[in-house]
Amino acid sequence: MASSTNVHLSPAELSYLHTSLSLNPPIRPDGRSPTQYRPLSAETGILPGTNGSARICFADGTEAIVGVKAEVEKTRRRWDDDTIFGENQNQEEGEEQDEGEEQGSSDWVELTVEIPGYRDDDSGTVFLGQMLCEALLADGGFVRRLRINRRFHWKLYLDILLISPPLSYPLPLLSLTTHLALLATRLPKLKSEGDEDPFFDDDWAAAPYLYARNPTTKRVTERPPVTLLVMAVGGNVIFDPSKEELAVADVVLAVSVGDDASSREGGMDVDGRSNNSGRNLKLLSIRTVDPPSRLTPPGVANAANSAYGHAQVVSTGANQKMPEARQTESEAVEGVWKPPRGGAKAVVMGALVQKVLVRGGVADEVLDALEGVDTS
Amino acid sequence: MPREAEPSLNEKQFVLQALHDSVRLDGRELEQYRPLELTFGDQYGVADVTLGKTRVLAKASAELTVPYADRPLDGIFNIATELSPMTSPAFEVNRPTETEVLISRLLEKTVRRSGALDTESLCLVAGQKCWSIRVDVHVLSHDGNLIDAACFAVVAALRHFRKPDTSMEGGVLTVYTPAEREPVPLSWLHSPFCVTWSFFGEEGDVAVLDATWMEEQVRSGSCTISLNKHGEICQIAKLGGVPVEAVSLLQCTNVALVKAKDMSSKLDRWLAEDARRRDKGGLLAELSAENDRVPDM
Amino acid sequence: MPLDTSTYGLALLRVDGRRWNELRRIHGQIRTQAAADGSSYLEMGHTKVMCVVTGPSEPGPRRGGAAGGASGGAGSGGQSKDAEVVVNIVIAGFSSVDRKRRGRGDKRTLEMQFTLSNTLAATLHTHLFPHSQINISLHVLSQDGSLLAALINAATLACVDAGIPMTDYVTACTAGSTSTYAANDEGADPLLDLNHQEEQELPGLTVATLGESDKVVALVCESRVQISRLEGMLAVGVDGCKQVREILDQVIKAQGRKMILEGTVDKGTGLNDMDLD
Repeated sequence: MASSTNVHLSPAELSYLHTSLSLNPPIRPDGRSPTQYRPLSAETGILPGTNGSARICFADGTEAIVGVKAEVEKTRRRWDDDTIFGENQNQEEGEEQDEGEEQGSSDWVELTVEIPGYRDDDSGTVFLGQMLCEALLADGGFVRRLRINRRFHWKLYLDILLISPPLSYPLPLLSLTTHLALLATRLPKLKSEGDEDPFFDDDWAAAPYLYARNPTTKRVTERPPVTLLVMAVGGNVIFDPSKEELAVADVVLAVSVGDDASSREGGMDVDGRSNNSGRNLKLLSIRTVDPPSRLTPPGVANAANSAYGHAQVVSTGANQKMPEARQTESEAVEGVWKPPRGGAKAVVMGALVQKVLVRGGVADEVLDALEGVDTS
Repeated sequence: MPREAEPSLNEKQFVLQALHDSVRLDGRELEQYRPLELTFGDQYGVADVTLGKTRVLAKASAELTVPYADRPLDGIFNIATELSPMTSPAFEVNRPTETEVLISRLLEKTVRRSGALDTESLCLVAGQKCWSIRVDVHVLSHDGNLIDAACFAVVAALRHFRKPDTSMEGGVLTVYTPAEREPVPLSWLHSPFCVTWSFFGEEGDVAVLDATWMEEQVRSGSCTISLNKHGEICQIAKLGGVPVEAVSLLQCTNVALVKAKDMSSKLDRWLAEDARRRDKGGLLAELSAENDRVPDM
Repeated sequence: MPLDTSTYGLALLRVDGRRWNELRRIHGQIRTQAAADGSSYLEMGHTKVMCVVTGPSEPGPRRGGAAGGASGGAGSGGQSKDAEVVVNIVIAGFSSVDRKRRGRGDKRTLEMQFTLSNTLAATLHTHLFPHSQINISLHVLSQDGSLLAALINAATLACVDAGIPMTDYVTACTAGSTSTYAANDEGADPLLDLNHQEEQELPGLTVATLGESDKVVALVCESRVQISRLEGMLAVGVDGCKQVREILDQVIKAQGRKMILEGTVDKGTGLNDMDLD
């Protein structure tokens, strides 16, 4: 879908953009630094009929709303589930059983993305949905929260709506909105005990958050993952690209970052060690996104376009045509834009990952900002 | 996507001008229906309706199936409409056009949602077995006013239809073939009919019943009212189009009631004729020794 | 029992405490989406609807099937002489109490899209924009009765925001009756603006009128009702539409005043709006 957003810039303008972004430090058209995000407005709790909801508007006018609804569902027994025999559970068996339940439970979360103007089985939409879902289910920790008892679990439905027409690649917007909606999600408080049929407290004010808050600091102990869109031009790594910047990108990546809960359970002196809230981030996934810069820009003749009828050019054997075609391909005229060839350099990927994950880096900033949104 | 040939500008203007002078192309009154004819097929549940040149065939059929999980005490009742390229090049198989969706929705609201057919009577074993009644509507010829003709055909087909008799003894369900026991009619509560008004002109002041295809092409709005002879409105659908005075709409509804009563009495008469035709006289007629070859002496 | 008719007769109050001729709280906003040509957000009670209008713009790939007997003069045969109004409704899964996912081809949604398209075509001056398309995209965030009415009102607001020339507001409202279809009681009251519970139990209709006149643009009644009740319901509905028109007019005028005072530059696009370190 990134490829489908076409920005109408001439080759000269594209080349100018590319050159200025390749400088060190890069000069962005709106004067931001490479790690600076555009202002956005975010609010939660806009839909009282849902378990959690959020709305984020980006500065370029794109807007998304996410609503989370939960439903109690009977847990399907796995075929090798031997908990029938275990009447009194000692600690080991209990833990084994937990892990067993995690494995079959990625269908406890159902995520749908609706983008205006696109069918819901369009490949771009499905891919977006999968990317967002994958980040959520990556470490299996999320679905553990949805367990009520051995026989029942919560089935969570995340409905993501893109309100504005898709002007730029909507992934970061949808991901941030989902993150915020999950932070604001509350599930009714369980009053039943053990494995009996669950019943809940009617008082919504007593409902705990899905992502629990630390009772003393009132801050979130663990966060849902977030996916950021990052692009690279030359050796420079640029965050929150606008659609003009995406049009000249060498490579565009979707990086999913999540909280690393396991590393925190070890030490209690985490708060003392670092100056921020002590979250440890881990990389959940990196996916390459087809950037619009790879499309052949309009106005290039078919003869000069290697993607079009190259075989034809060869087979006619007209020697006159071939050297010309090859010549126009390989010649890089200064000031004229040519789509980039090749993939992401390893060095660039490394720098990118480093920038995202480092303490006080981009991910931290974004997560801090989102935490600041009032979710009460 | 092929399209129906549009009427020419001359034709459109002629029709509109004539309607403003209260003259219709076929000489009818503004509120007059074309001649309505109904033929039943040999099989139970087949109704062939002609309204002028519009021809619609409806066939009802029944099948044993499992009821829906959220309605274990109700049977299943579906109406399927099919507009094939036979009627017009604009219709394609399996590609529902707007017209088809609207007809389908109107029929559903009129017959299904108004509870004309008692679905609880279709249930045989709660949660396990029920009748699934399905009416297939085929449009054979399209000369305007498909909705009224289709609704009439559906109601006729359903009232004519007989489903196999069943009996339930100690948990065992027996379904009898028509040879074993006479099939029984469906449990029918009321007969709704559709009346479609078409509005013409910038102000929507000319209102006409039963528009032909040509008149439909030039109309600027339409309103379909479904009601039964008792004066209960099952649905009204004026889906946009030219704004019409509320008072005029109420008058249209009143006239629609008259037409619905008329259609209802016609249907009753045809059903009675058909029943008489099928009725062979019962046991006495079978025992009679007369045959057709011997002339009356 | 939705009305709890036993107590309705006593105090003449409905479940949510309204009288028979009271509308629910209507809250509307326009220019909610800076990137679109026109946008609006409307709440009628708990029914929340967002609308985004883009256009008039280049027509998309020609959609067939509109020709051949479709009703309404504006949309069908003259695709080239009038702008085409394309409506897309997305009902979010979380909009009702039970989460329910609706497929794109859902007939009820298609019918609502058709209704909305024809209703707006009756007032928008589409003859001024031949060979073009007006895209109206609606998102239903929460449903609590009167859905079609809310959609029509939101679409009207968004079209006004987009600056598309129109004859007058098209406003819609629902009306119902306390009598069931079987009963013939004379004491049945018509009700204005039904919520979800009332819509399910009682007969009701949605009516849309043009401006301050009594002209009905759209009328949809999907429940069984005695013909004698129709007049009362229609009268109450048309009156309710006039009240809604007043409210929507206020919304537009308030936005206009705000724009005059604040200027019309969109937030966030200029360099001055950002905090540079």
